[in-house]
Amino acid sequence: MSRIYGDPIEVWTRDGEPARFVWRDRLYVVRRALDHWVTSREWWKISEADPGERRFWRVEASPGKDVGTYELRFDTASGGWLMLRAWD
Amino acid sequence: MFPHLHVASAYSLRYGSAFPRDLAARAAAQEMDVLALTDRDGMYGAVKHVQACAEAGVGPVAGVDFALGEPGGGRHGEDGDRVTVLARSGGWAHLCRLTTAAHHAGERGEPRVTRELVGLHAGELLVMLGPRSDVGRAVAARRDERARALLAAWRAAVPDVVVEVVDQFGHRDASTAARMLALAESAGVPSVLTNAVRHLEPGDYRVGDVLDAARKLVPLHPRHLEHSASHAYLKSGKEMWHVALRVCGGDRGRATRLLARTREAAERCVLDPLEVLALRGGRERLHLPEVDGDPVPLLRGRCEDGLVARGLERSSEARERLEDELRIIERKRLSGYFIVVSDITDMIRGMGVRCAIRGSGAGSLVNYLVRIGEVNPLDHGLLMERFLSEGREGLPDIDVDVESARRLDCYRAILQRYGEGRVACVSMMETYRARSAIRDVGAAMGLPPHEIDVIAKAFPHIRARQIRAALTDLPELRDSGLGGHALRTMFELAEKLDGLPRHIALHPCGVLVGNSGLRDRTPVERSLLEFPMSQFDKDDVEEAGLLKLDVLGVRMQSAMAYALGEIKRVDGEDVDLDRGVPHDDGATYDLIRTGHTLGCFQIESPGQRELVAKLEPRTMHDLIVDISLFRPGPVNSDMVTPYLEARHGWREPHYPHPALRPALRETHGVVIFHEQVLRVVDAMTGCGLSEAETIRRKLSTSEGRDEARAWWEAEVLPDFDRETTDRAWQVLDAFGSFGFCKAHAAAFALPTYQSAWLKRHHAAAFFAGVLTHEPGMYPNRVILDEARQCGVAVLPLDVNASGRQWLVERCPPPPPPPGVPPEQDPPRRVGEGYGLRVPFSSVKGISEAEVERMVAGQPYTSLADFWERARPSRPVAERVVQVGGVDALHGLHPGGPRWRPGELTRRDLLAQVGVLERASATGVRTRPGARRTARRGETERGWAGTSPDPPAGPAVQIPMGFTEHIRPGELPEMTEAEAVQAELEILGMDVSHHVIAFHEDLLAAIGVVRAGELLTMRNGAEILVAGVKVATQTPAVRSGQRVVFTTLDDATGPIDLTFFESVQGHCAATLFGSWLLVARGVVRRVGARAVSLRALDCWNLVELDEIWRTEGIGAVRAVLDAAPRDRGGVGGRSVEYGNGYRLSPYADIGPPAGVRTAPRKLWHASPGSSGPPPSAQRRGR
Repeated sequence: MSRIYGDPIEVWTRDGEPARFVWRDRLYVVRRALDHWVTSREWWKISEADPGERRFWRVEASPGKDVGTYELRFDTASGGWLMLRAWD
Repeated sequence: MFPHLHVASAYSLRYGSAFPRDLAARAAAQEMDVLALTDRDGMYGAVKHVQACAEAGVGPVAGVDFALGEPGGGRHGEDGDRVTVLARSGGWAHLCRLTTAAHHAGERGEPRVTRELVGLHAGELLVMLGPRSDVGRAVAARRDERARALLAAWRAAVPDVVVEVVDQFGHRDASTAARMLALAESAGVPSVLTNAVRHLEPGDYRVGDVLDAARKLVPLHPRHLEHSASHAYLKSGKEMWHVALRVCGGDRGRATRLLARTREAAERCVLDPLEVLALRGGRERLHLPEVDGDPVPLLRGRCEDGLVARGLERSSEARERLEDELRIIERKRLSGYFIVVSDITDMIRGMGVRCAIRGSGAGSLVNYLVRIGEVNPLDHGLLMERFLSEGREGLPDIDVDVESARRLDCYRAILQRYGEGRVACVSMMETYRARSAIRDVGAAMGLPPHEIDVIAKAFPHIRARQIRAALTDLPELRDSGLGGHALRTMFELAEKLDGLPRHIALHPCGVLVGNSGLRDRTPVERSLLEFPMSQFDKDDVEEAGLLKLDVLGVRMQSAMAYALGEIKRVDGEDVDLDRGVPHDDGATYDLIRTGHTLGCFQIESPGQRELVAKLEPRTMHDLIVDISLFRPGPVNSDMVTPYLEARHGWREPHYPHPALRPALRETHGVVIFHEQVLRVVDAMTGCGLSEAETIRRKLSTSEGRDEARAWWEAEVLPDFDRETTDRAWQVLDAFGSFGFCKAHAAAFALPTYQSAWLKRHHAAAFFAGVLTHEPGMYPNRVILDEARQCGVAVLPLDVNASGRQWLVERCPPPPPPPGVPPEQDPPRRVGEGYGLRVPFSSVKGISEAEVERMVAGQPYTSLADFWERARPSRPVAERVVQVGGVDALHGLHPGGPRWRPGELTRRDLLAQVGVLERASATGVRTRPGARRTARRGETERGWAGTSPDPPAGPAVQIPMGFTEHIRPGELPEMTEAEAVQAELEILGMDVSHHVIAFHEDLLAAIGVVRAGELLTMRNGAEILVAGVKVATQTPAVRSGQRVVFTTLDDATGPIDLTFFESVQGHCAATLFGSWLLVARGVVRRVGARAVSLRALDCWNLVELDEIWRTEGIGAVRAVLDAAPRDRGGVGGRSVEYGNGYRLSPYADIGPPAGVRTAPRKLWHASPGSSGPPPSAQRRGR
């Protein structure tokens, strides 16, 4: 079962892919990217010139020994990351 | 160097957003050496792609992205399967044939292929099965067995199949791609990587979203869109390497092999550009029409016969010219083309269709001799070089004008004669402009249709990208309330669609004439009218080396043909317009000189009426000059005034140099024709006419202009001084691209003269033709009024006298119309003794079949008889009654007292229509064609009750005990005002009275000057005028302003008004928004017999009328005297051309926005209002 969060998180990237992130005061190391996709936004509802896109990563990561699966989202327009879902 | 093999351009209608030229340039910039174009459903952009690639140094690949499925069956539309088919090197013809077959297999506009169909043409094709193919869908659905089976079936049908892997970072894209790759590897099928490109830049996906919504007819909503579209752009080689890595799970070796296989596939498909761009490939590659026998001696023989037939066999000038022309024609291997065209024009004339040559082709003696055209180039000093020359690369194209009403008959005859395999029509792409973009985006945004309609129509015909600029620039839009925030997003989106192709349509005139291999050169689909239509536009067909003939439908030719028919029918006179009419008829030129040219070809616009009045043409040559002068080039370089001054002898003709005298003598030293430009260039450089034409053609682009300038500086002979050289350059420059060729003007002058001759000598028949075919710029009510001015009676609709179209009748001369001074110009009453009968077809909403029945059933004895035998629908029957169609039959006289007991009225008859309908609804109608019997009861009373017909057959019942009885005079008669209102609503024109007649009292009270009195006004006087707005134009003018020319009609003639930008701030909204106008203007005398007005202000007459009724004449005067509020002028920078020519961005944009037809309510009718003219008063409701 996955749980849905939507917490802002801090992410370090390597070659454009998430490598480590801090969520709820714990550091997670990304072991493997399982999936990655991109969606565009409902740009006609927002007024910015470049609405940007949303990049999703589904990764295996671990704060310690236990490996969980997490879905992270990066918004190119705001430059912010969110923790969307976790299977842990 | 990644080769993109799956690329959609803007020619994938409502799908792609990039143009081939930009895609090729981007590919070249990214050092890609191969680029494919695989538009959806067709090869609309293929020639442009090959051309762009050839210019950018990129190897072109051509393909089509087809919908897959059985015609009419299986999954349709957006969700359907698709495959991409590429032509292998040398396979262009196969791709054309498959595309044609796909269009013939599907419904029109829904081409589709099946595996079998592709298999039939697969020899030289490569098929890519991507994620949207049946194989790809099976893989995505994890139906591996099915995917394997489908792939095997494809391999069996097509030798060269590859699996296409795509990853656009969408959800599950990567996993599907990986599985596709695995499938290909296990089946031993090569795989290739593409990006299924739709856009040039990542951000263009927003345009794509709008296009998707417009195409699918759904609102913009995430549910309907491709979320990954932001990655469907032309990615660089590096980006594609990352995609390859992703698809291959990070395995660099696999990724490298995938890209290598992609490259191999690309190399199999690179085309030789010259195979497609045959024009560049040299004469051997041209696609020539088939002729029985050797065309060269055949054409020579026909020309020889022509010399005899035209009486030129002894003319050495003609022989020399013919020899020159034939030499060039034969060198270019075009003899067969001339033979085919002359066969076609012979055939068209043989069908009894009027046919005239137009354009530069009139400059060729060969065309005259083989009877393609009736203009002898030697008579007018026309040059062949404008049409066909050594140095000219392009193909000649001969243009002929035929009757517009018979154009499609001509097409059918050509098709029948040469067969569909050898002939096809040319297509053209309609692109998004402001109105169409607003319509599509409005629908995508979910706006209500009627609001979209109102918004779209508020804009003039401008480009989509001018929308927001126009909202602030144009006064009439500034006041419209459209600039608000709510619509801003919609306008922004609409601007994004600017210039994108929207749909394909039949070109108005181009017909390809080729041989049996035509369909190896071009794909052909069906047009809306089921004509075979090439997917290439007119530029593409020339590039592809295909010869065409332009058969243009000209309404004036139809109008004249109709007029000739009426002359024959009414007067029994056979007029041979082409050979039997002298070209020097004084009376005809008198009519032209006095500016009474309304309705005539080419010379009826306000500007032309002004020009002919100044120029006073007396010969055909004068008409040729007149037509050529009224063009942007001469207007721009100010040729008009010097020419007029020299012509009328107010100034000595000036020749910059004696050597130029021969070229310029015919126009008193002023350059007017392209031909003169060529002669001047030749005289000053000695380069020859052919080379001069090559130079002239360069002037249309700014690079070409610089080149031409350098050439000019280098080549001018030393005998010419600096000043002459510079002045000559200025003229050349101004003229090169905007001038007019004399051959064209000469071809136009003939129908111009013929139309004027008909107007002068057979006015009623001429007007009947003009009213029926509407060739001109004015609405029919203006033509009708002009007919009245000429003394022709206008006869109301009459079920027993009206026909399908306007008919001429002989009738006694009417009394002169009111308001026209008795000292008439002699040509003005030329139509007396004839009348024009309003036809059935002008009744609103009437069907073709109803018209047929009404005509076939004549004569009728009563309304009931008409109802039974013509069987009109109830609304149509009511309209016929309302406009007086049965007045004569029942002796009705509208007007006068409204209550007349015992006398039948139109309203009684309207009620009668209802009664008749109810009776037929209950099954009591007699069968059509049933035997009519005398209707005693009715004829005694003078009107129709229900007909007591005896049973005409077993199925017909007699109406039993008719209970609805209407007593004559029970309902009031219509007033004259109501009758005119009904006419405007139903016929679109005021027949019985001029609309302005109902405002006479008000106009007299405020001192309005009538058109008939304008000539008596002194120059510079400030006056008020009024009338119905009948024409509004915003042509290109020298100053670069948007100038609005408006014509009002006030029952005594036209009044021409000019609104400059300085007054548009306060006038534009009223000017565009009103139908009946009052205007103040300054009189400007423009010739001996013509006057125009410079407008200062204008008002809506209906509003003034209301003020008059409610507040009295004082209030009206106050409104008229109030100083106009300054609301800012017209904005927008004028477009400036290299030669200094300036053009308003809003000039010459087709019919302007605003009210052009009568509004529903012309008179204010509140009870108790005082003072309306009695004739217009409505009592009660």
